[in-house]
Amino acid sequence: MEGRLGGRGPTRSQRKLACCATFLPVHQERRTQWLKGVLDLCVLATLARRESYGYELAQSLGAAGLGPVQGGTLYPMLLRLQRTGLIAAHWRGGDAGPARKYYRLTEEGERVLRESAAGWASFVADVEAIMREGLAE
Amino acid sequence: MNQDRWLAVLAGELDRRGIAAEHAAPVVAEAATHLRESGEAPLRAFGPPEEYAAAVAEGLGPARWAEETRAPAGGIRLDARGIGKGYGRRRVLHNVDLTVRAGQVAAVVGANGCGKSTFLGICAGLVGADHGRVRVRGTIGYCPQYHGTVDFLRPDEHFVLVGAGRGLPRDRARAAGLAAAAELDWDGATRTQARHLSGGTRQKLNLVMAGLGEPDVLLLDEPYQGFDRGSYLDFWQQVWRWRDAGRAIVIVTHLLNQLDRVDTVLDLTPKEAVPC
Repeated sequence: MEGRLGGRGPTRSQRKLACCATFLPVHQERRTQWLKGVLDLCVLATLARRESYGYELAQSLGAAGLGPVQGGTLYPMLLRLQRTGLIAAHWRGGDAGPARKYYRLTEEGERVLRESAAGWASFVADVEAIMREGLAE
Repeated sequence: MNQDRWLAVLAGELDRRGIAAEHAAPVVAEAATHLRESGEAPLRAFGPPEEYAAAVAEGLGPARWAEETRAPAGGIRLDARGIGKGYGRRRVLHNVDLTVRAGQVAAVVGANGCGKSTFLGICAGLVGADHGRVRVRGTIGYCPQYHGTVDFLRPDEHFVLVGAGRGLPRDRARAAGLAAAAELDWDGATRTQARHLSGGTRQKLNLVMAGLGEPDVLLLDEPYQGFDRGSYLDFWQQVWRWRDAGRAIVIVTHLLNQLDRVDTVLDLTPKEAVPC
């Protein structure tokens, strides 16, 4: 860690990593549990910005602060989102680089994302209110 | 467990769970790409192959059992009997039979110059046969190996033109064309005239036109020329969708890696006794 942070100073993702590291390991297990409920929404939101493929998705979710997202979790979820029509997939490339399966948000996916984002916000507000009251005691 | 071994075990596990090859193959390919790009160890990225196969099966849901969800083949859509054709003294086709039902895919294979395209042309009614008869129930969509596009028209103008011939109003023809193009990962709304499209893109245009108006019988003559590997995979997904929608499909092909998934293979390679 010391070596990586030395020299030209930490990059943005390294600062993020260091910041997350302060949570570890106490909060890691809980964060993993929270993530289970919202990873699909995070995937939809990431794809709403632009289409992407599995490895790139895993990287951008990780860089966004979710920590490492394992392929074993991500790809089955992508299959489920594809089956339920929230995302669509295409294979592309393969002549020079590897053939990649690109995912994009469908109209249905956009609708579900909008609704779920509102639901998530109200859920977070409820949880925060409960905690605030508890801590105020 | 090294990467190749892990992928092999995964493929075996998916097969054991009865996941059809058309679903399993892309899953294995995607995992291989991920491992190559990330450089991660497979056990670390995906866990044990048995568990990953189980997660994949759950992600795929009931659609994984292609055979079970697949509708039984319907009535006969195309019936070619005793087809014979020669050019001058050269006999190209001799007593060829092919029957394709609704919801079936037939592949026509054979060496170059053995009459695959001629046979498809006869099925389409574009080439006259010397012998035999072709019966077709329903409408036909035909995708030629070359040509078929109009140089100075844009792709969407093609959709409108072909759609008009199949009774589709302008808007619906255009929308259907764009949707079908998107399935092949191609933006059909491009303002480029057909003559300036790449060979692969022109074939996508041909393919989209063949499917416009939902014809009952699709006759495709090596439609994937110039496709990259991704487009090729998209093309076969389109074929399975057509099949599952109850179309009858005949594909002329020289690529054999999809043959275990088609219902009928018609090999036009001449027997030694019959000079080609």
